[in-house]
Amino acid sequence: MRVRILQLVTVVAGLAVWEVAARSGWVDPLFVPAPSAVAPALRRIGGDALAGLADTLGKTALAYVLSVVLGVSAGIAVGSVRLLRDVLSPYLVALYGIPKILVLPWIVLLLGYGTTPAVFYGTLHGFFPIMVLVMGAVRDVDHTLVTVARSLGATTWQLYWKVLLPAIVPSVLVGMRLGIVFCLLGVLVVEMFAWDGPRAGLVRQRLSGTGALRSHRARLGRVDRDRSGAGPPQR
Amino acid sequence: MKVVALRLVLLALFLGAWEVAGRRMNPLLGIPPSAVLPALRDLLLLRSYPDLVASLVLTVREIATAYVLAVAAGLGCGFMLGMHRLVGRAWGPMLGALYAVPAVVWYPSLMLFFGLDAASKIAFGFLLGFFPIALAVLAGIRQVNPQLVVVARAYGAGTVTVFRRVMLPAMLFTLVGGLRTGLALCVIGVIVGEILGSKAGMGALINHAYGLLRTGDYVALVLVTLTLVVGSDVLASLLEHRARRWTE
Repeated sequence: MRVRILQLVTVVAGLAVWEVAARSGWVDPLFVPAPSAVAPALRRIGGDALAGLADTLGKTALAYVLSVVLGVSAGIAVGSVRLLRDVLSPYLVALYGIPKILVLPWIVLLLGYGTTPAVFYGTLHGFFPIMVLVMGAVRDVDHTLVTVARSLGATTWQLYWKVLLPAIVPSVLVGMRLGIVFCLLGVLVVEMFAWDGPRAGLVRQRLSGTGALRSHRARLGRVDRDRSGAGPPQR
Repeated sequence: MKVVALRLVLLALFLGAWEVAGRRMNPLLGIPPSAVLPALRDLLLLRSYPDLVASLVLTVREIATAYVLAVAAGLGCGFMLGMHRLVGRAWGPMLGALYAVPAVVWYPSLMLFFGLDAASKIAFGFLLGFFPIALAVLAGIRQVNPQLVVVARAYGAGTVTVFRRVMLPAMLFTLVGGLRTGLALCVIGVIVGEILGSKAGMGALINHAYGLLRTGDYVALVLVTLTLVVGSDVLASLLEHRARRWTE
């Protein structure tokens, strides 16, 4: 109870400090608009923002399904076959570790703008953590269980379906929970990086998604779109 | 032995496939490995980008600044939350919730507020690095067995001794893990920030090469940046190893 109250107080105090800071001119309201200016702005761009949100969530969902399906199946395959695991795991861990932003320009060059690179990059972000987690879980399945199942005459199919899969369910769930954040992150990065640019004529350009909307606002310096009469004309 | 051979075969196959595919693609987009090597040589000899060294130094300085700030704030915030039970229980979950937000959504605001120069990259690297460190401190403090603290107190140990002899060894594993994750995220944050918008640094060079379709130079720049990333991780793992030996 006291915890909830303290949390509530924190949020309210944070908003109050923000409001006061913006109103009293400690910070330029063009860069840090007060919460009271954000709310009407949200109402005004609500339609655009919801459409953008739907677009972003659609791409994220697609990327998420792809990364879960691919990640879990690759994790099971690589984790359960000893040779594959020994040969591939250093490469996979290295690919997991490198910042994927470095290949983003190339992805955009190859796939253009719009939905495809966003889904691809989102999948790339979600795939590796899920796969590495599932791979580790398959590797760490209790060997006694496998041996017992084998000695009782289980077929390979039964071994996977009745022993391995139930044993890795917790890790798959953890991976799925992590994966959604990574997929969303990947999609947002693409939407910010590749919504418009110096090569707009070269590759297909599509202005959609929350990321695009956000960059658009940021580029116009129109943080809250509430400075009526001032600034550039409305889009 | 066989495994190592197979790994090399796989790498060779991959490079071969890339070479074949790269040669058949539009030369502006597909760069075979054989074209990357001259580009890398030109880059390292400072022919294609004379300001490579300055950019590298700038990026490293941004990472270092962001990391120092993230460590200071993360340790401070983590210990504050860990030492006060009520505050920790109220703010810990809020910190966790903020950590789960894809941090890149803050970047446009940071860029507006801190400008296009190094400050916004430092702020973004800090933002990414801060949370794992603070949360690791919090988790580490919770791992400390309270009975050990009570016993040490009962035997007359002061706060400093309790911290150094009881708490630090118990939480070191988690703490060092968090510090390492924090460094990796600081590096990623600074690089992401530079690529999303900057005037100087490795990210700006990468963007320049990509924008002018100098794809060979782009790949070479990515390789140099990767060396930086891998180098920082190797350094972190060495320090982590050392810290673990110290507790044993």
